[in-house]
Formats: sequence, C-alpha cells, structure tokens
Amino acid sequence: MKFAIALFAPPHSPSSRRALRFAEACLDGGHEIVRLFFYQEGVHSASANAVAPQDEPNLAAEWSAFVRKHKLDGVVCIAAALRRGVLNAEEAQRYERPAANLAEGWDLSGLGQLHEAAQMADRLVSFGGN
Amino acid sequence: MATLHVLSHSPFSDSRLGSCLRLLGPDDGLLLSGDAVYALQSGSLARQALELMPDSIALHALAEDLQARALTGLPARLNAVDYPAFVELCCNYDKVNSWL
Amino acid sequence: MKSMLIISRQAPWSGPGAREALDIALAGGAFDLPLGLLFLDDGVFQLASNQKPATLQQKDLTANLQALPLFGVESLFASARSLQERGLDGAALNLAVEVLDDSALTSLIDRYDQVLTL
Repeated sequence: MKFAIALFAPPHSPSSRRALRFAEACLDGGHEIVRLFFYQEGVHSASANAVAPQDEPNLAAEWSAFVRKHKLDGVVCIAAALRRGVLNAEEAQRYERPAANLAEGWDLSGLGQLHEAAQMADRLVSFGGN
Repeated sequence: MATLHVLSHSPFSDSRLGSCLRLLGPDDGLLLSGDAVYALQSGSLARQALELMPDSIALHALAEDLQARALTGLPARLNAVDYPAFVELCCNYDKVNSWL
Repeated sequence: MKSMLIISRQAPWSGPGAREALDIALAGGAFDLPLGLLFLDDGVFQLASNQKPATLQQKDLTANLQALPLFGVESLFASARSLQERGLDGAALNLAVEVLDDSALTSLIDRYDQVLTL
C-alpha cells in the first residue's frame, strides 16, 4: 500500500519517534511512503539545530538520515516552519535571519503538498500530540 | 467503512478518549499508543469505558507502551501490537484517524 | 478524488492550532478537493460570535472561517454535544454549520475517505 505520513510533533515528543518507527515498518513491510509531511510542531523534527542529550535518541538526525537513505519525499510546511524558526538558506536570506537550520533531505513547501500526498496515498496516517 | 482511531493522550487529563468513544462506529477499531495506554489501568473509569465498548469494536495497544509503563491486568480482548502489526492494521481498516 | 474530513478541536486563541487546521481546509478548497470541516470539543469556540481577538493582538479567525464557502468548502459541521457542553447556541454562531448529534457524527466520519483530527 501507499502511505502518506504526517507528523505534527517535535523531535522530543514520543510521537515523533513513534512516527519514525512506523515509517520504518512501512518500508520493511514492502509498502511505499509517497511523502512525509511535517506540519505544526512537526517542523522541529526537521531541524538540524536540536541537540539531543547524549543518552537520548536524536530524532531529528534520525529522520534526516531516514529520508536521505530511502530517498523519500520529505516536505515541511513552509508557513509552519517560518513561524517556528525552521528555515532553509533561501528563507534565512530572504528574512535576514542568522541561520539556516532545515536538516538535509527536507524541502519547504505548501499545504498543497499534504493534500497531494493524501490523494496519492492509500492511507494517510498522522502522528502528533504526545 | 471501518476506521482505526489512534489515541496517544492520557485519558485522565484529556477529553480525547471520551470524545472518540462517542463517535465510534460498530466496525471501528481503537489503537491506544503513548500515554493513552493508561486508559487500560485497572480500576479506572477509562478502563470501564473501554470494557463497555461493543465486542465488535477491536481494541489494540502498542506493546512497547504497555511494557514501558508496566501495565498488568490487561483485558482479554486487548490485542498488543508491534510496529509491523500497526502497519498491517492501517491496511486492514479503511482509514486511520489519529486524535492529534 | 479522495474526500477528507478535517476535525478541528482547538479553541481559537490557544495557539496557532485552530488557524493551522483551518489553513488545511482552505488549501484543500483552493485545489477543489472534496472536504468537510467538523468543529468538535473546544473547536466549537471558534464559532462563537462577537469575538474580539485584537485585544490579544491576534488576527480575526472569523474572516477566514467565512472564507470557507468562497474556497468551495461548504460541508461545515459542529457537534451538538460540544456546543451544548459549552453553553453555545447553535443558532447564534458566526458561521452557518450543520449541527449534528453523536450518531450523525459517526455516520459523517464514515462517509469520508480520510480524516485528520487536530
């Protein structure tokens, strides 16, 4: 089956880890992930700047590695990202901010990408909150 | 159409479980994940509410969350799932509604 | 095309949640997708009349809500129970919505291909 996976929570939230474990299980089970879409606090799960304590998993880094390893379409909602200070180089320059902190493997784009993914997928599965 | 409802908040501090239970269709399923597994706590009103659900409604919980919280005395009807089984559940239901 | 029901559960001034749920609906409408929007639990507070968000330096959500039909999102619903619990009069809301009881909400969810509850 084709899955679209949406994440609404930051990397230190249990649901960010849960979503990643779910995404891994999708691929291991022979399914396809048509897109990952990060919205609301989920944009922080695509940040390159979070520093996880040494004895904790670094979910943002794990997500970035996952997207790149499997060459997945990783999209972060640009409006949600800007509001929360997750910027790529282009936006950092545009808004004259000191840093570009969007992790590798992610693109900033609009909510239309969530809808397109929902149309393409057999199942839309969302993770967020706790 | 059968929907798999996914919860991840503790029912003791949150209204999601209550709202979800009122909207369940007869063929729907409920998957408890994260703090939502506390709804299985013996002696709680949440546990009673889950047990009162019609038999046709399947009750699932993420095994790792049950184990992490050392929950025991779980209902016989409960199906504890790992991630591969979670994925399969999503395929078997027509759609997945996560109460974010 | 797959239809999507968006269930909005956040009160209007509890952070960007309500607005961001609405943005999903407006974006889908802009692409002519078959969408429904249900206000449930504290989400029904978005429908209260005469709100003055400017006192909180917030933009008025009501204008965005009223733009929904213009974006082709006309299937708008509110939970009768949620309104009643919160003392809101279903006839005095800032948006024309269909007020549904719990069993009608079960059927509503059933009718859509996908659901997003935020």
